[in-house]
Order: sequence, then C-alpha cells, then structure tokens
Amino acid sequence: MAEGVADSGARGWMAEVLMPGPRPFAPRTSAFTQPFWEALEGGRLITTQCNACDSRSFPPRNLCRHCWSQSLRWIDLAPTGTLYSFTRVHVAPARFRADTPYAIGIIDLIDNVRLMCRMVDEVDAKDLDRTVEMVVLKYDDGPLFGARLRPP
Amino acid sequence: MTERAAILGFAAAPVGLHQRRPPGVLAQLEHELAAEVVLAAVAMAGLSKADVNGLVVAHPGDHTRQGYFHTFLAAHLGLSAQSTVIQVLGNGMTGGHAFDTAVKEVESGRSDCVLAVGAHFETGVPTSEHLDYSIRLTGDVDFQSIFGAVPIAWYAMDAQRYLHEWRLDRRPLAAVAVKNRRHAALNPLAQFRESITVEDVLAARPIVEPLGLLDVPGRADGAAAIVVVRESLARASGRPYVRVAGRGFEHEGLHQMSDRPGDALHYATLAKAAARAMDESGTTLADIGAFQLYAPCTIVEILAAEALGLFPRGRGGHAAADGESAFDGRLPINTCGGALSRGHPPEVTPLYDVIEAATQLLERAGPRQVSPRDFAMTVSELGKYNASLVHVLERRV
Repeated sequence: MAEGVADSGARGWMAEVLMPGPRPFAPRTSAFTQPFWEALEGGRLITTQCNACDSRSFPPRNLCRHCWSQSLRWIDLAPTGTLYSFTRVHVAPARFRADTPYAIGIIDLIDNVRLMCRMVDEVDAKDLDRTVEMVVLKYDDGPLFGARLRPP
Repeated sequence: MTERAAILGFAAAPVGLHQRRPPGVLAQLEHELAAEVVLAAVAMAGLSKADVNGLVVAHPGDHTRQGYFHTFLAAHLGLSAQSTVIQVLGNGMTGGHAFDTAVKEVESGRSDCVLAVGAHFETGVPTSEHLDYSIRLTGDVDFQSIFGAVPIAWYAMDAQRYLHEWRLDRRPLAAVAVKNRRHAALNPLAQFRESITVEDVLAARPIVEPLGLLDVPGRADGAAAIVVVRESLARASGRPYVRVAGRGFEHEGLHQMSDRPGDALHYATLAKAAARAMDESGTTLADIGAFQLYAPCTIVEILAAEALGLFPRGRGGHAAADGESAFDGRLPINTCGGALSRGHPPEVTPLYDVIEAATQLLERAGPRQVSPRDFAMTVSELGKYNASLVHVLERRV
C-alpha cells in the first residue's frame, strides 16, 4: 500500500483546460489509483515513490518495479518539464474521431519522470526540448492530464 | 539440444487485401489460405502429412473470425500431432515466436518435423474500428491509451526525436521507403509494387507526423508456413536447406516506453539479442549477407539498423539513399520490401521475413537476389523494440 497524502500542492497546482464532451476512452479507477485521479481533479499531479530505493514510477504502481518493495508513498510531481517528442495523429481510432487530428507527446518532468499525454494548443517540430507545463484536461465526465508549451 | 533445427520447406500467399475483393468475387477464408501454404511448404520439403508431428500457429489478430485457430487448423488439415499443437502470441513478435517455438520443439528432440504457420486476416474491419482495438495493445489502457496513442504513434515520436537530434529533414526517412519499394517491385509476394520517389513519400498525406502514408504500413492479410525439421533429416533429404544456427532474445521489462528520461532511440534489446544470436552461431556482422528487420515504419528500419551497428547513429537513412542497404548494396536490408512494401499482416510478418531470408540463402530470390553469402539474420520485435528475437540462419547446399 502507498501511504500518506502528498504534500498538499507544495509542488504547484496545474491550470485547467476545458475539453468538449466526455473523455473519448475513459480510464478505470481502482482503490489503488483513486488517489491519483482525485489529486488530478484537484489540480495536482502525484505518483508513487519507493520507500526502499527511492525510485519514482509513472504511472503510479502498487509495487516498485525496480526492487519489488511494496512500501511506497505518494509524492507530488512538479507540473513542469520539457517536450521530448510528439506526434500529431491524423488517422485515429473511431472513438477519437471528433478530436482528429490531435497531438500526443512524451514529457520529461523536472522531477525525473517521463510520461506520455495529450498536448493542447499549438505544437510543432521546432518545439522539442522546450519547456512545457502540465495541465488538467477537464472533460464532462472527469479529468485527464495534458501538457502545453509554456510561452517563451 | 540434441541437434540443430533446419528449414526444409516454406510457402506464403501474396500479401494483400484478401478480405476485400471486387464485387462478385468471393474472398478465401483464413483456414483455406493457410491450408494452401501448408501443402505447398510440405511439398517443397518433399514430405507428406504423416511426417508432420507438431503444429505451431501464430495467434491471429482478434479480427480474424475463426477462434482457437490452431486446433481448428489441425482439424482442417486432419493433422494428428505428438509434440504439440499450440497457438503463440508475442505482439509484433508473434510470427517470430511461432517459428522459434517450432525450432525449440525440434531442438528439444520431441519432434522430427513441426509446422510453423500463420494466417492473419484483419482487413474485413475498417481502420478506425481496428484502431479502437489496437490502442489497447500498445499502451497502458488507463494511463496512455486514453490519449489515443495508436501503435505507430510510438514510432512516429521516435521519428520526430530522431529528426530533431540529428537535425535532419524527412528525406533520409523517405529513402528507406523508396529503397523498400524497389525491392518489393521484384517480389511476387509483395503488396505494393509500383515505383515511388522521395518526393512521393514527402508529399503523401500525414498519418502520424512526421510520418506520412508511405512511411507507414498499409492494412494487410496474409498467410505463411514453414517446415522445421531435425537437421539430420534435412541432410538426409539431399535437398538444400537452411540451418537455424543461432538465436537470441531480450526483453527490457518495459511496455512502449520507460518512465525515466533518457535516450529512447537506441534499441538496446536488439543489440543484446543479436549479439547472443551471433555468438551462438559463431558469426559476426561481417558474415551476414542479408538482414530481415521487423520495421513497420521507415524510422524503425533506421533505428534497428543503427542498433545492430550496421551504420553510425544518425546515418541509417542516408545508407538507404546511398544504396548501401539495397539488395545489391553492401548491407542488404529487407530485400522483400519489408513491412512497408512487401506488406504487413502483423501477426504473420516475421514468418514472411524468415521465408525471405531462406529464399535469399537458397539463391531463389531471382532479380532481387543478394550476392550469395552463408548467413542471414532475421529480427522480430514487440512494443517499440521492448523485446527483440533474432535468428541467424545458415545455408546448407
């Protein structure tokens, strides 16, 4: 079990971006991942860190994939990083048709975590390695996390 | 292992839209096509039904109508088996696992002769519907697929990063597509055989930027069969055959990408698996005359070739442009046209690749024949080279 509550947004809250309609392919929530989605709803990006070897995981996991310890804690991630790469998807799954084309990117957070998420606003090939900020994508039925370029 | 395994026969159907026929033309069914390639492969081996005592089937994609295809196919063929009848699944590596499992059955001494068979039918389902399914395969469904990451989006992000790091435009990527199309034009099994130019590739509509229509695979159905036997049996046949000289595997314990920042463009599993396969076969890269690399997109062939050490990093596309990786070049890669132009029925693609390697080794490749050498390498992968399976094949004529 992951213990404790992440430090109440000390690493910064994320801005909200309103998205139309419901999430095209909503994630499931388990008792274990519920804190992640609740924190996201409240504007915070959290994940698990191992108490034994200090490895961070993304997404949060119910074990440490490096040392298999189950002693974990929730930590806040600073919602800022750089754009490692991205693509714009033009041929999309049926359930994403209304969004097409849409961009997804790989983000390297300053907290040494890499994740993949939806990119909002403009993004272009020349933007790789630029600073991005994580945002909460507010859909009708719940949140997702996303990223956008920070103005230079 | 008691003795090495050998490929004594093989056959494949032309890759294409087997489920999409013109009005008035009825499509063949998956087991009908599979039976045809099995009979052709067994005939090439000079064997008969009674000689076969195992069947390994590449798990067809979920849009192939017939389920439990392995036992269904065993029944369709009326095949009794003493070693195994099994269906194997390994994502893009599925066909590679089918071949590998057949080889292991023979090497273990449990079987004299095992068929590795695949029939993948998916074109009966529209692309957008198929993608609803395939986003669930190549990402964490609760944390990645939710963003619509289609399978080739991962390769596209490699491509974007590659162009950025090496300060390239798309032309080196396009050169790979052009080179592979040139090969496919010379391959009767290939799906796309009309000549294309770099300009065609650059002008094609975007699919997953920076990759366009000609940088990515088309939809395809296909079927292939390989007869794997004990080497002593192959030798006794008096026929030319291909020996499975070495095998290597590596999985890095990741699904698509690491959660730690770092270099995503070095396909480390391939370097490790290839080193093992070459070690086992007593070969070095210099011994290998043809490389069949699982590469659904232009960028993937480049990164795989670079991971093998065939070209310096950042130069894999230039090698295609310069003709180095063409069938008549120094380091021939994907002489069948590759997944891009030979075609890509994903679960069967690695079987087609083994067949191309064997075809080259036995000098049956006709106008796309490489300069004859004793060894060829086949590579299949899953995820984004999260795992690699490598075989070194050797001709015995």
